[in-house]
Amino acid sequence: MSITLRIILIIGSIILFLLCLKKMRKSELKITNGVMWMFGSLILILMSIFSDAVGIISQKIGFMAPVNFVFLIIILFLLIQVFLMNLKIVVLTDKINQINQYIVLMKTKLEKDGEDHK
Amino acid sequence: MNKDVLIVVPAYNEEKNIENTIKDIKENTAYDYVIINDCSTDSTKQICEKNKFNLITLPINSGLSNVIRLGMKYAYEEGYQIVLQFDGDGQHEAKYINILVDEIKNNNCDIAIGSRFLEEKKKKNIRMIGSKLISLAIKLTTGITIKDPTSGMRAYGKKAIYEFNKNLHLAPEPETLVYMIKNNITIKEIQVKMKERQYGASYLTSLKSIEYMLDTLFSIFFIRNRRSKKEK
Repeated sequence: MSITLRIILIIGSIILFLLCLKKMRKSELKITNGVMWMFGSLILILMSIFSDAVGIISQKIGFMAPVNFVFLIIILFLLIQVFLMNLKIVVLTDKINQINQYIVLMKTKLEKDGEDHK
Repeated sequence: MNKDVLIVVPAYNEEKNIENTIKDIKENTAYDYVIINDCSTDSTKQICEKNKFNLITLPINSGLSNVIRLGMKYAYEEGYQIVLQFDGDGQHEAKYINILVDEIKNNNCDIAIGSRFLEEKKKKNIRMIGSKLISLAIKLTTGITIKDPTSGMRAYGKKAIYEFNKNLHLAPEPETLVYMIKNNITIKEIQVKMKERQYGASYLTSLKSIEYMLDTLFSIFFIRNRRSKKEK
């Protein structure tokens, strides 16, 4: 791997790491979600610094090329993230629906009570 | 006031149909009714207010399933014994309401479905093929024949209302019937006649109906096809 490519990779992964940290400090990213991203970007940094080690490991496991190994790890990471996201969306949708129902029922009750008092 | 039967009328953009529907209900029955307006963008709300109909308006558009869930919750909290789902689009005729309700009152069943095809044959078009497929799926999983599983005119007894309030994910769809059968709730079909839609578009459009079929069949075979777990 050429030196320039390596430097670009290292810089890119460090920027991602710092971005996560910054967003978490500003609490635009929840700590629980953020830790997952920190973990992911940490793996990226490690892989870009020790790219030779990645090559050796992937060869030992039996990948045709190290790049396949790297992609596999990243895709797995993203799949897990999307799946977790889906679970969260369902929970949120349920909550919205419940709040929706609650508001409507309360409002109708209040309006009815108001009419009774008149 | 007699808190016996609640007729739930889901309405989404039904400004042309809603007035006739409610008139029909009022002429044919003396039961309480409630229109649930799913945040319509037309003047459905204004028409109902003008006529002093009993109306509930959702603040967010949330789909037919949620409208029915809300109706069930409302009925449960207000202590109604029977809920009748009656579309606000002018397809259903209110003269059949009493027949469905009496069927439950006489303890013949817990859910009464107003079926279009109990005695009459199905027409041959894509929609009916879909309906047949769902019937077949229900037959395979539960052994019970339901000729018109997608009918929107249903009466639910006390047990069914309770199930709806216990399980937040039930929708007024065929897969719920499977769930109900698996939970020892009896279902009976009664022949009714339905008119074609008078104005406006239905919830189901062509691409959506494919999605609907896939969802329903998947749900029947893999999700609702077992007894619900005992309450913790």
